[in-house]
Amino acid sequence: MSQAIEDTTRPNGALARSLVGGLVTSLPVLVGGLLILNFAPTYYTFLALGAFVNLIVVVGLQVFMGNSNIANLGHSAFVGLGAYGVAILSTPLAMKKLSIPNAPFGFATLELDPVSSALLALLAVGILALVSGKVISRLSGVAATIVSLALLIIVHSVFLNWTDLFKGNQAFFGIPKVVGLPWMMAMSVVVIVLARLFKDSHWGLQLRASAQSPQAAAALGIDARRLRLVSWVLSALICGLAGILYAYFAGTISPKLFYFQMIFNTLAMLILGGMATVTGAVTGVIVLSVGLEFIRSIESGVTIAGIQLPQLLGLSGVALGVVIVLCMAFRPSGISGRYELDELLSRFFRRAK
Amino acid sequence: MDYALQQLLNALAFGAEYSLVALGLAVVFSIMGLVNFAHGEIIGVSAYSVFLAAALGLTSPIVAVLLAIAAAALAAVAFERVAFRPVRYAPTTTGLLTAFGVSIVVQNLFMLLISPKPQSVSILNGLNQMWFFGPFAVSSLQVMELIVSGLTILALVLFLNRSTLGLAIRAASRDFATVRLMGIRANRVIATAFAISGALAGIAAVFIMARRGSVSPDLGFSLVLKAFVACVIGGFGSLPGAAVGGMLLGFIEVGLLVALPQEYGGFKDALTYVIIVALLVYRPEGLLGQRVELGDKEI
Repeated sequence: MSQAIEDTTRPNGALARSLVGGLVTSLPVLVGGLLILNFAPTYYTFLALGAFVNLIVVVGLQVFMGNSNIANLGHSAFVGLGAYGVAILSTPLAMKKLSIPNAPFGFATLELDPVSSALLALLAVGILALVSGKVISRLSGVAATIVSLALLIIVHSVFLNWTDLFKGNQAFFGIPKVVGLPWMMAMSVVVIVLARLFKDSHWGLQLRASAQSPQAAAALGIDARRLRLVSWVLSALICGLAGILYAYFAGTISPKLFYFQMIFNTLAMLILGGMATVTGAVTGVIVLSVGLEFIRSIESGVTIAGIQLPQLLGLSGVALGVVIVLCMAFRPSGISGRYELDELLSRFFRRAK
Repeated sequence: MDYALQQLLNALAFGAEYSLVALGLAVVFSIMGLVNFAHGEIIGVSAYSVFLAAALGLTSPIVAVLLAIAAAALAAVAFERVAFRPVRYAPTTTGLLTAFGVSIVVQNLFMLLISPKPQSVSILNGLNQMWFFGPFAVSSLQVMELIVSGLTILALVLFLNRSTLGLAIRAASRDFATVRLMGIRANRVIATAFAISGALAGIAAVFIMARRGSVSPDLGFSLVLKAFVACVIGGFGSLPGAAVGGMLLGFIEVGLLVALPQEYGGFKDALTYVIIVALLVYRPEGLLGQRVELGDKEI
């Protein structure tokens, strides 16, 4: 115990601790990823890539929701913007002639390498996040949630209707497929560590304090608005990164991927795992990705003991909703509760000694 | 002149519908701080029960209207009993996410049990006709929407101001604990609020079905999103705010429809929301909202 106190009073010790903590939290992800990389058939690799994208989105969501305790229902707008950003910037010119020949601002004749496209897309996400965050951080909890939804609808409607630039309802294809599982794993680890560092930083601590007791935090001179803005932008950038990675592995994107379905999935994952911790985000993604895949296999109609079941469209949606409702009623803190994985482990070993 | 009058009527009719739904949300929110995302699914239950009744041989439109309202009120009370009671005293975010979950479950149940595709319902189509007043042709549905919404809001105001239960509801929105100390049952107040909210949703469901002539699983979802926005502009939890916000939203939408050239019509929703978000920059607590003392009741 004395060791712990000493550590938190020294800034470097605290930093090292949350760095190690973040790495410990990302261990299960790394191990799972390596197993799939080495042993699983291609079909599962593809599924795993999707799960990793969800993981990054959920961790991004946790950065805002977990620390500010305000529900965000608009984060897939940032995922979509990231994905469309790289799609517009990095798709080869020959493909662009087919898909967006009339793109404004000279985008039709522009082709950048994947890395600079990604950076520019992140810049676009950051600008949108800064503008929307200015509004959202001023509002009280409920109004902020509704405005986050409005943001989602605005962005989606622009994707659908600005056909010259975003190709509308049709799929945007031909994005260079440059990201595989190793890249995805590396980025997941980076993002998990980043989220953990933010949570343990003085910003994260102050933001969590102001979420628990706004008046007490304000009395201590904490500027909750500014902190909400910081976490909103960081959360949006992580979600944008998830979109970029998705576009680079799938090669084809369409607006409906980044709408309510993604919100439902990722929100259920975060709630099930527990939104207070980064460990919760990781746990939720692992459990629900496996669970949903199982349900989807039933949904499409399976044969059990010689009896062909009909297609059960909507089953996975019902399951997601039930997970959210039951979690909220019986265990609002989710599977992982208040502690991060490394905190649980160190408690366990201390008791064992 | 004719065109301007027509657009005015359009705006009033849209606004009336948004106000109805927004009021339903505000009644529940003002009492128990629940952001009821499942409100759209209450509209859905109402519409699907009319669809099923029609499929079983119901032909009278009047019975269908009554059925729609009753089914919606019952659904709202049932949602409260099953899903929202366990989280009644939990923080706002918990209730909001629960309601979001309920909304997903019910929407997908419609898909699973009935069909993901829109189903046609023609029983209420008779409400949607053209009426001719001298040189003017107006849609009967829009006139009815306006009149019925006005009457409903009047009835709601009378109920809230004159009856004991209504008074209890208004008092509960200020300080629930004291209301309970006065010997009013919490469950009864909340169930009444949900029944009112459901009935308002049922009326909205009748108008939606009469206009579209079909039902689909996501029938109420986008309408409720707009109603939420109406609540936010008006000031969340304020009943007059919800009514005013709904009307304002109707006028903004129709104004944009008139002002936008045809090829940009798809941006109507996006622009509506942009205007509203811009309004919130200047009045974060909404037009008629008040700054809440965070110590008493957290929002």
